[in-house]
Amino acid sequence: MATPISSTPTATSSFSKRERRQSMAERRPSTSYTPAVIPHLAGLETPQEMSPLKLEECDVVIIGTGLSQSILAAALAWQGTQVLHIDNNHYYGDSSSCLTIDQLKKWCVDVNQGKFNHFKDAQIYIPGGKRSNKYTSRDYGIDLTPKIMFCQSDLLSLLIQSRVYRYLEFQSLANFHVFENDDFKQKITNSTSKHDIFTDKTLSLITKRNLMKFLKFILIEEEHVRRALVKQYSNRPIHEFLTQEFKLEESQINELVYSIGLCNKQETTTKEAVIRIRRFLSSFDCYGKFPCMTSKFGGPGEISQGFCRSAAVAGTTYKLSTTMTDFDPVSKTAHFSDGSNIKVNEKIIISPTQIPKFLVPSYQKLTESLPSYYITRLITVVKRDCKEWMDPPQSASAAIVVFPPHSLPTDNESAVQVIIQNGDSGVCPEGQSIWYSHTCEQDLARAKRDLECAFEKMEMALLRGTPGTIPDVLDDIDLFSAGTTPMADSFKLGSSLANFMPKEKVEIVCKVGYVQQTYINPDLSNVFKANPNNSITCKKVPTGVDDEDMIIFGNMPSSELSYDGIITNVKQIYARVTGTDDDFFDVDFEDDDEEMQDHQQPQQPQVNQSGQVLGGIVGGGRMDEDAIDEDVIEDDSDDDHKPFGVDQMEL
Amino acid sequence: MSYPTPATSVKLVLLGEAAVGKSSLVLRFVSNDFQENKEPTIGAAFLTQKCTIGERTIKYEIWDTAGQERFASLAPMYYRNAQAAIVVYDITKPASFIKARHWVKELHEQAAKDITIALVGNKYDLVQDDDEGQGEREGVRKVSVEEGQNLAAEEGLLFYETSAKTSYNVNDVFIGIGNKIPEAASLASSPEQNNNEGRIDLSTNASSNGNRNLCSC
Repeated sequence: MATPISSTPTATSSFSKRERRQSMAERRPSTSYTPAVIPHLAGLETPQEMSPLKLEECDVVIIGTGLSQSILAAALAWQGTQVLHIDNNHYYGDSSSCLTIDQLKKWCVDVNQGKFNHFKDAQIYIPGGKRSNKYTSRDYGIDLTPKIMFCQSDLLSLLIQSRVYRYLEFQSLANFHVFENDDFKQKITNSTSKHDIFTDKTLSLITKRNLMKFLKFILIEEEHVRRALVKQYSNRPIHEFLTQEFKLEESQINELVYSIGLCNKQETTTKEAVIRIRRFLSSFDCYGKFPCMTSKFGGPGEISQGFCRSAAVAGTTYKLSTTMTDFDPVSKTAHFSDGSNIKVNEKIIISPTQIPKFLVPSYQKLTESLPSYYITRLITVVKRDCKEWMDPPQSASAAIVVFPPHSLPTDNESAVQVIIQNGDSGVCPEGQSIWYSHTCEQDLARAKRDLECAFEKMEMALLRGTPGTIPDVLDDIDLFSAGTTPMADSFKLGSSLANFMPKEKVEIVCKVGYVQQTYINPDLSNVFKANPNNSITCKKVPTGVDDEDMIIFGNMPSSELSYDGIITNVKQIYARVTGTDDDFFDVDFEDDDEEMQDHQQPQQPQVNQSGQVLGGIVGGGRMDEDAIDEDVIEDDSDDDHKPFGVDQMEL
Repeated sequence: MSYPTPATSVKLVLLGEAAVGKSSLVLRFVSNDFQENKEPTIGAAFLTQKCTIGERTIKYEIWDTAGQERFASLAPMYYRNAQAAIVVYDITKPASFIKARHWVKELHEQAAKDITIALVGNKYDLVQDDDEGQGEREGVRKVSVEEGQNLAAEEGLLFYETSAKTSYNVNDVFIGIGNKIPEAASLASSPEQNNNEGRIDLSTNASSNGNRNLCSC
């Protein structure tokens, strides 16, 4: 009991003797205790970081704490696998990190030095530098791969089932703006119901009828009828389908395809677009009059932290700032940068940005034959709350702006999609916003021009909306169409930008651009129909030992604005590790009753509606009857929007 | 059941070196008020316990480190919106007290400025005399009460010595924290109060919105 710690430094303390000088407290003889001055702790700020892993073995090592790897870690840990989860960086998230401005500055430098495979051409611009541009770096959480979540989606179901949602906060997202004819239009807001989308008062009766017909087709039509009709057009562009079958006009088509469907290209196939449009419409009314949500304080970066915590609760060991330096496939021993060696019983799963040096040649060889896709991103932090884009401005904190193909003066081939999040979503200070824009344009010079041009259009729209210019544009708003209180000093949607010449610029805090590469097709086809020929996660990595299949390379995040495809991809890796994905997050939390009690509000003691909670989530409105079973369209297995584990999901 | 006032949620995080008794402390607090000695279910996102202080009911959401502190790998999420923290050390282990200073510093850097922090020297039972006297056993204690008090005074922390084993002073820690947390602050950040500000509570939302929306198509 009274053994002096100085004689057994490693047994009881978590930092070992040779790493630092012993403190006064430790050298103090135990027998004659006198209150001592606690030594100054300079140099002791992070005493544990250097301590080596003290594991002898584990089943699975996961390298990289990106969203997919974090979900995988949690799924494996809850299944009973002993997981060691490490990351090169000193922060969580890997390619889906949520970074402060200072971290982002360093990240850009690292990218340009080639430290992060699959990222390039990083640029960061901070006007005036830190001195005149007074910002506090850690007030910002900037996602490297921002995403939005549909209310009817496998990730949301998994968040609820795994209880990871309890670490997070979600906010509704219902503001979708489309830019066309040099003009911003907004048809969907927080006060829009599914029907309102199709019953805009400014539309002609015939157009309205055609739109209603399409809505019924998407949501109510019997499956076999829908399937048969879509099949006729299957791989033809959605435009043809909508004009020929539903006589829709350009403006409605833009709305349906690029805003509701979030499609990138004019050539998007009917099959893909119908699935995307359905995804949006069936996500309405799950939680209210909004189809999407964002997670507060950051998107994928925040959600991956949640899954890592879940994995840790289930016993996963975490160590950041650590790399794997070598692996001996014969003895199955992995060596780490902290000097420790660990026996790995089953698999090593590696993020594409953190491939250990000794595996780089085999990674290059395996990816040689895969087509790669570029995503160009431009992220701007502006000193405006952008309430003009939000409706209602009091509670909305995010909006989507879409620039359909050929809508910009640059004659963009690909859509530019923008997520706007303001200070209310916790990603930046009050009064500021982050504009996350990206395009899948493969000509990178062109992609940058498109993004800059989209930025200018948004900037111009904001400046035009500032007080002082209101009277000029007030006439254009249909004050009563949305059924909400008119907002006098709010954004003037629907007035042309053509004649507006701004005299000032929107002040910005920081502007970041970079290019990301991925092997995931933007239509996600090689996720939903993955095989060793089209997907890196299915490829066997040679280790030099016969029949040894121990290493799995992961995927870079896709260009998809939603979280679609991620769970499907994780399940594939999960099945490769455990043999099946049948028990993927098949966890029975026994404290259900207690949780329900906890969430009953004292002021509404009658609430005991677990059945309705369940219905609200699973039902997704009317999922059961209406679900387009994506499998059925052409016997494909596009189960991207199938709710995850419907029958298992309980609160 | 009826409550005098609606419970306000307070996120409380635990910090401290491994094996100082962080989890035991919380288990003692959480299980004391329960009808039966129910083992907390593994996998609970966090432990919750209501604590009534005068007219107020505080619902603590207690986040354990889940081992992520072992290699200094706690995520920013852990500190986010924490209104209270308990930094635990073992009064028989000087190194754990040094570590406590580190965690206090970390909290000042990572957590909200107005966070309420309690410094807790645990394992008081080890220094207590067996025959329940007032005295202490010779030589077991390695961190004096004064040292703890001084650190607490310097940094503006609450200070307690506790024993999770005998439950000595355990409830006092949570009551002390509850008293120090400003009422307005706990209200403002309580999830229950925030529904009307665009936040969706996935666990309760459907009961308020579901009814209306389920039948629409």
